[in-house]
Amino acid sequence: MIDTPAQVESRPTAPSVPAPEVPRQPRPERHPEEGTPDPVFRVKDLSFYYGPHQALRDVSIDIGAHEITAFIGPSGCGKTTFIRCLNRMNDLIPGARVEGEIDFEGRPLYGADIRAIDIRRRIGMVFQKPNPFPKSIYDNIALTPRRNGVKKSELDGLVEESLRRASLWDEVKDKLQQSAFSLSGGQQQRLCIARAIAVRPDVILMDEPCSALDPVATFRIEELMAELKGDYTIVIVTHNMQQAARVSDRTAFFTVDVSDQGRVGVLVEIGETSNIFTSPEDQRTEDYITGRFG
Amino acid sequence: MSITTEVRPEPSVPPRSARGRVPGLSADRSVRSLLLVAALLPTAALVFLTYQMVKTAWPAVIFNGVSFFTTKTFTIGNLYATGTEVHHGYTAAKGASYGILPLVFGTLVSSFIAVTLAVPVSVGGAILLAERIPVRLQGVLGTFLELLAGIPSVVFGLWGVYTFGPVLSRTVFKWIAALHIPWFGGPAGAGQGLLTASLVLAVMIVPIIAATTRELVRSVPSISKEGAVALGLTSSETVRIVTIPFIRTGVVAASILGLARALGETIAVLIISGNFLNAFPHSIFDPFSTMASTIAAFLDSALTDSTGMAVHSLAEVGLVLLVITLVANLAGRMLTRRFSGAGLPVGRGV
Ligand SMILES: Nc1ncnc2c1ncn2[C@@H]1O[C@H](COP(=O)(O)OP(=O)(O)O)[C@@H](O)[C@H]1O
Ligand SMILES: [Mg+2]
Repeated sequence: MIDTPAQVESRPTAPSVPAPEVPRQPRPERHPEEGTPDPVFRVKDLSFYYGPHQALRDVSIDIGAHEITAFIGPSGCGKTTFIRCLNRMNDLIPGARVEGEIDFEGRPLYGADIRAIDIRRRIGMVFQKPNPFPKSIYDNIALTPRRNGVKKSELDGLVEESLRRASLWDEVKDKLQQSAFSLSGGQQQRLCIARAIAVRPDVILMDEPCSALDPVATFRIEELMAELKGDYTIVIVTHNMQQAARVSDRTAFFTVDVSDQGRVGVLVEIGETSNIFTSPEDQRTEDYITGRFG
Repeated sequence: MSITTEVRPEPSVPPRSARGRVPGLSADRSVRSLLLVAALLPTAALVFLTYQMVKTAWPAVIFNGVSFFTTKTFTIGNLYATGTEVHHGYTAAKGASYGILPLVFGTLVSSFIAVTLAVPVSVGGAILLAERIPVRLQGVLGTFLELLAGIPSVVFGLWGVYTFGPVLSRTVFKWIAALHIPWFGGPAGAGQGLLTASLVLAVMIVPIIAATTRELVRSVPSISKEGAVALGLTSSETVRIVTIPFIRTGVVAASILGLARALGETIAVLIISGNFLNAFPHSIFDPFSTMASTIAAFLDSALTDSTGMAVHSLAEVGLVLLVITLVANLAGRMLTRRFSGAGLPVGRGV
């Protein structure tokens, strides 16, 4: 269905696209080997351990501002682990340990003077399954800003703005006081995106945000991501290569490295999405995207 | 497609009478009838029990009339005196009078205080147990909780009357009494009374409510809690915003279970209450009585009442207790339904 580069460039396409051939043209102003000029995240030699088990080894990535970075790779290669390092969600896991450096906007993310709670207010997250609060639609959006000190008089406006940005407003404007659970799965996921936006973060992390959604709902989320990209840095984990191809500017390919020490997640390569899908440098990437692996 | 099969009767399914002969369906049918019996058994037991209670209580219902609920004196009369009391064609021993107003009061107030104290303690404890305490300690503390639930109520009664009550009356009760708040004043007593009994009841129902709540807390999807954490909310905010709404319905149901236990508790209350009859307690430290404890206290002598009215009246007390417990359950159900209304995942957390 998508054959011409122009189509992909302008908007995400319906999710039933067959092959991950990405006809996206490389952006003229940048080349993959240059990396990202002004990264939001600068990750250097990151290793991650769940107790004795090493889940990631020596991952180095720069994540650029106002672009969409996709993480792809076989299941169990540590994509979730990695993305959760970026907002310090892994702090909650007993025995988990991070080695290496992550700079967020020029400051060490795991620095002694940085509070995880402050970090999470600037880096929103959307999960594999929609997880709205057991509250009304309105409260789902308003709760966190209200708690963060947004004035009551500004809340209604903020709720509307966030829902509009998540392209959900028209569907829910007449039932803001209804339970968030009365919405469909796709609507709930957009509500969760609106909830994240309402805190005015700089970054939105998405861990397989469409894995529980049907193709139409998936399409709407992809559309939404393209719209949000202007204002937010987006990182998305997806096991759907077509999705990575459709929505992302840069793609990072992770895989599982099997050795005597066990199975460890490693980053194989990162680059412009079009390059990764058309002319990957590493054989493992090529095998994966052509379906010879996993 | 699946909808059409559901709506329209499947033509291949044989008519009801022939079902037993179709191979494979006979097993299905016997399982189904077994399940039906299992489902009906509790209902049947309740109906039978109620019928028996009504039958035994009936003479007392006629004899006592409304004064059963409106008077304060509960005595089975002088069993050795000549002469009898006759009301509405039924006889009772001389001087017999059956008024349960203070007993109803004692039952409701002690149970209400017990549940009011036990719910926050249980819910708070269960949340701590399930979410804050290291896993290894959780097992140990959880075992204690289960052991607490298994202690016989007579042990609670003895502990209450010999240890807990006296210690409290010498300390906390005295301090409270010194504040001279109406209903919380007067002599702190020796430890037998309404407050001690309510506290012991609370201790007895904490394991019931806490064990259920702990399971409810554990069943809250971690992805829902992570949603709050990822927004920069603290763990106590996460509890308030996610955990509590999820478990609320179930906590109400568990509290009703605890309430039912407190309403019906007999021996512990009998030991601790001071078994004070025929008047209302004047303060929270005064001795009192409940319906259940009075039944136990009187049953022995009631059996020697040749008119039989004492036993009939105790059955009537039991009947009233049964009705109160059922009403509490129904009210709880209605409350549960209300709580699972707007903003809540219907059916979750029960
Ligand atoms: N909480 C955890 N405790 C221990 N091991 C974990 C935990 N979460 C993930 N892992 C392990 O870490 C590895 C990477 O998992 P994950 O990051 O979820 O991979 P992906 O998201 O790419 O499928 C897997 O081997 C998984 O079993
Ligand atoms: Mg994952």
